[in-house]
Formats: sequence, structure tokens, C-alpha cells
Amino acid sequence: MPSAMKKIIILTLLGICACTMLMAQNNFAVSYAIAQPTGDLNSFIGKTSFRGISFDYRYTVKDNIAIGFSASMNTFYESKPKDTYTVDNISLTGKQYRYSNNIPLLVTGTYFLSPEEPMKPFVTLGLGTMYSRRNTDMNLYTVELEAWNFALQPEIGVQYELSDMTALHLSLKYMQGFQAGNELKSAQSFFSLNIGFAFY
Amino acid sequence: MKTKLATVLPIMVLLGACYPKGPDYVEDADVVATSYDVKYDFKAKSTFAMPDKIVVDVSIDRGDTTYEYMLPAFATPILGAIQSDMEKYGWQRVDIDEDPDVVLTPAGISSTTYFYSYWYDWWYYGWGWYYPPYYTVSSYTTGTLIMVLSDPSQAANSPIRRSPAVWTAAGNGLLTGYYDVSRATDAIHQAFAQSPYLKTN
Repeated sequence: MPSAMKKIIILTLLGICACTMLMAQNNFAVSYAIAQPTGDLNSFIGKTSFRGISFDYRYTVKDNIAIGFSASMNTFYESKPKDTYTVDNISLTGKQYRYSNNIPLLVTGTYFLSPEEPMKPFVTLGLGTMYSRRNTDMNLYTVELEAWNFALQPEIGVQYELSDMTALHLSLKYMQGFQAGNELKSAQSFFSLNIGFAFY
Repeated sequence: MKTKLATVLPIMVLLGACYPKGPDYVEDADVVATSYDVKYDFKAKSTFAMPDKIVVDVSIDRGDTTYEYMLPAFATPILGAIQSDMEKYGWQRVDIDEDPDVVLTPAGISSTTYFYSYWYDWWYYGWGWYYPPYYTVSSYTTGTLIMVLSDPSQAANSPIRRSPAVWTAAGNGLLTGYYDVSRATDAIHQAFAQSPYLKTN
């Protein structure tokens, strides 16, 4: 037993060392996201969203190339003043509360333009899916429409190195969630400005 | 533990602030719905009759039907609003005996929805330990004001010898302990405003 224990301790220590070495290849960014809806989403909610967060993990495979994944959440909200909505011979008047929650989950590929400099501009292309849930609340009821969109997200940004382990992270993303399913009948798209920190 | 709480708490507050708000006042949930028979020619009609009371409940006891009426303090302004809106659209109020073209019947309904939720401690499922479930009971009450326009002459065409509604309007909202009759009269004005096809003038 003690010899087995020793092995475990050694292996664990080695593992920790390996991890710290790997850390240099890790690039994890957490950012606050401000989003502006476009297209169909814009005609549903025109207001800019100040409720957003983004997690972007990048693993450097070559000096300037990284692969990773990105998970975010962007919540759009707008309350519509009292208005009348008419369909055929039925009219309904009241206030409307509109919500759109979007969760993109993407696999990403990143190209760093100057990985050795403190200022590192980059371009990223994300590919994956986006869960969209649209709620229209009136009275005590809600109409809920959901979709899992095929999603494409080009991104341009910059990381400014503050220390060996941290950097300022700033990026602009354009999310295009293609039309999917038969509930939400249009593509969902928005721009998002992401401001945060990156950790190596 | 103290430090943990100090870091977790601001995060929770921040996350809570992230959730968008909804209605602030009960009035924000008020809605007015109307529908009409597209084939009915409202323009060809001119007179209407309506009762002086608003039914809020019906009880049937051994074949005897008893109606419960809305208090005059609320019924009078409500009926007044209906009459003035009808007259603005060119209708003339007549007595029920004077062969009116259409009959307008208002009704008020309040209904209370109760819901309860409970939760077990998850150990109850995981380990089969007995743990008393907690129940919480909540309720909300909604009030609906309904106006129905029907044409008595159409009763003969109906298999059940009742005239079908040519126009229905419903104003629905959350009721609170504070009764403001203007919410009801506003709903009436809105119902007429969104039904311009009722105009005969």
C-alpha cells in the first residue's frame, strides 16, 4: 500500500507540473457582452441588450492558431406600450413584454496576428448551435417559441497582455443563427461587443 | 465561511439584476379582447336594448335560478360607459319590449386560481428517508367583464333557438383588494375603440 501511495503522489505531482506547462497554451476569456439585435430579432426587440456574458476557451495548437469553444448568453428584453394586435376578426389590446434568450454554443478556430507582441489582434470563426427562446407575455399568459439554430459566428478582437497570466480582452462578434424548426420561423442574428479579461 | 459568503453574495445579486423585469402594476396585465361575426351587417341596425343590472353570479337551487348582481356603485358607471359608447357609434337604446335590433348583455365574472407547490428534500428520493414535504399555497383572482351583442331575429336560424353572438368583448385583469371602476370603464372604451365596425353612423 505505501508504495502504491507513493506512486499516486508522484503521478499527481507530475500531473500538476504537466498542467502548469499546459497552462501557457490555455487562453480563457470571460467577458461582459452588450448586444444589438439585427434582422428578425431586431423587428421583435429593437433595444440593445446589456445582459450578456461570454466564456471563450482557446487552446493554442501552433504559435498563432488556437482551437476552442465558446459559450455565451445574450438576453434581450423590451416592454411594448399598450397596443392593439389584430388577427382576422379578433383584436387584443394590452401591454406586451418581449423576451429573447439566446445561448450560442460553438466550436471555434482562432488566428492570432501577433502572438509574441503584448497586443494580440485575432480573428475567430465559431461554428455550432444556438438555443433561442422567444417569449411574448400578455396578461397572465406567454407565447413561447424555441429553436436550436445552426450558428455561424465571425469575430474580430484583441487581447492586450497585462501580465504573464492576464490580458484585457475586447472583441466584436456577429452571431448568425440560421432558421431552424417550425416555431421560430426566421434566422436570429445580433452583434455583440465583448469586454473582459483573458487568463493564460 | 465568511469569505465564501462575501464572494457568493455579490455574484447572486449581480445575476439577479441580470434578469429582465416584467409588469410592475396589476394594470399592466389588463387586456381587452374583441371578436365579431364578419358576415353580420352592423350598419343596417340601429337600436339596442340592455339590462339595468350586471349579473356577477348565478345560483340554481332546486330548479330556481337566482341571479346575483353587481353593486350599483360599480354597475352604474359601467352601464353608463357602455350606453354612451354605443350612442357615440350611432345606436339608439330602446326598451327590450320595443323590438330592438340587437341586445347587449354585460356580465362580470371573477375567478380565483389556487395553486400549490411542494418540495421534498432530495434525500427522500435518494435514500428513502422520510422527510415531510413543504407545501406553499398561493392564489390570484382575475376579473373579467364580458359584453355580448346578439341579434334576437337570428334565434330562429339557430338549432338551439338562441341567437348567436355577433360581437363579444372581454376585458380581463387581475383583481386586488382595491377596486377602481375606471379600469372597467377604460376596458369598455377600449373594446369599442378597437371595434370600429360597430359604427352605424
